[in-house]
Amino acid sequence: MVDFYIGLFLASLIVALFTTRLFRLLMWYSFNSLMLGLLALIIGIEFNDDGLIITGVLTIIVKSLAIPYFLKKFSQQFHIVREIQPEIKVQYAIMLIPAILVFTFYLAEPITNMILNNSNHIAISISSLFLSLLLMMEHKNVAPKVIGFLSMENSLFLLGVTATEGMPMIVELGIFFDLLMAIVVINLLFTREEIKND
Amino acid sequence: MILYLTTILLLLLIAPILLSFIKSLKMIWLFKRPSSIFQGYRNFSKLLTKETIISQESSSITRYAPFLVLSPLLITMFFLPPIVEGAYYVSFVDAFTITGLISLSTFFLMLLGLDSASAFGGMGSSREAFISALVEPAMVLTIFSVSMMAGNLGVGQAGVNLAEHFPKEHMASFIFAGISFFILLLAENGRIPIDNPETHLELTMVHEAMILDITGVYLAIIETASSVKFVIFSSLFVSLFMPWGLELYAPMAILVFIVKLFIVATVVALLEVNMAKLRLFKVPNLLGIAIVFAFLSLITFYVLGA
Repeated sequence: MVDFYIGLFLASLIVALFTTRLFRLLMWYSFNSLMLGLLALIIGIEFNDDGLIITGVLTIIVKSLAIPYFLKKFSQQFHIVREIQPEIKVQYAIMLIPAILVFTFYLAEPITNMILNNSNHIAISISSLFLSLLLMMEHKNVAPKVIGFLSMENSLFLLGVTATEGMPMIVELGIFFDLLMAIVVINLLFTREEIKND
Repeated sequence: MILYLTTILLLLLIAPILLSFIKSLKMIWLFKRPSSIFQGYRNFSKLLTKETIISQESSSITRYAPFLVLSPLLITMFFLPPIVEGAYYVSFVDAFTITGLISLSTFFLMLLGLDSASAFGGMGSSREAFISALVEPAMVLTIFSVSMMAGNLGVGQAGVNLAEHFPKEHMASFIFAGISFFILLLAENGRIPIDNPETHLELTMVHEAMILDITGVYLAIIETASSVKFVIFSSLFVSLFMPWGLELYAPMAILVFIVKLFIVATVVALLEVNMAKLRLFKVPNLLGIAIVFAFLSLITFYVLGA
């Protein structure tokens, strides 16, 4: 069952790389975080870890509902450009994405040799880290860059959940607080974007 | 053997109903008065009684192409995985054969479009060639990757193996293959993000443009071929990606299979209502996504084993 959610996580990230509309991108980000939250919940129930269950619920509420909602609201409020065309052409992205994945699978091999159980999840989370970097690189506008940043955070969370069976809860909560601060900063960036548009 | 033949007959009977079901479901969701789900049969019987007119400019290809469009698809129906446990099936047919048979049918459809030398037919054929050239590699890769997961290259045997032992440990690559195959299902059957099956607007036609000049019995055959194609793709999707319920008592298993076919049709209708048709030059992007997912499912299977 864990593999199912991880597959959907990676799939939604890859589809997000090809989207050309901002709200669709937000939807994919929300789906991505939902899968992550469900994954954390399932692992938490499996290992009977209350901290991980709480983080899972918080992930679903904050990342998959609140953050996309507020980003959508901000982008409507500041009239952000909603048509986001990736700078990297699709033809090249089709070759680039499998190349990145194959590369990271071999890159992660020394790490996976050290860890005995579910070693392939580490490779997937590192590759999703690279894919979210690609998402940040391929867009010029602020809003998709923000989504790239957020999904990078998601893939780090995935690494934490699958590799270590859950970070200490206080660290997770700290990350959430960090994210909320980041949203405030993003708000400032959006205001600047609006000035540039005028 | 009886179950095998019954299955094929049943699939043939259900083929027009599925397409009419999609159409009427779409009409309900668009707040229109829905057409009957037996509309496919009505159209068929009406077309049989109509006069068949063939363009003077066309050669003999127009006379035999409709049969050659339908027959590879009918042959493919015999190679599908079984829907009931213990039924007879053909185990050795692999991804290349099925893709080849389907593209043989597409080839004759394109010839039919070109033959009457109308501007629309040529345009439709060129578009169809463009789309099917992009579909084929992704389809071979997807079915190949699923067969690798099932542990047998034959599609029928792969369906049986998947039903007996669902690959829980390969769930990630299974999902990638599923997404890829669903995009291919939409592309090959000319559903909405790729092609609008209901339009006769010259800018957007692909499938309709090729069959504009055809009337009567030949049109009935072509329409049957397109519904059979949909049933082939959806039953492949069902038996490769939703392989459960085969071990039930035979009539029950058949019922479960039909319900699953209708679920696939419902999802297609839902997508059609909610999406706009893609511009033709954006279609390679969507099919590119399908190729990426097909490739991904292979490499996650081989490299990670996940």
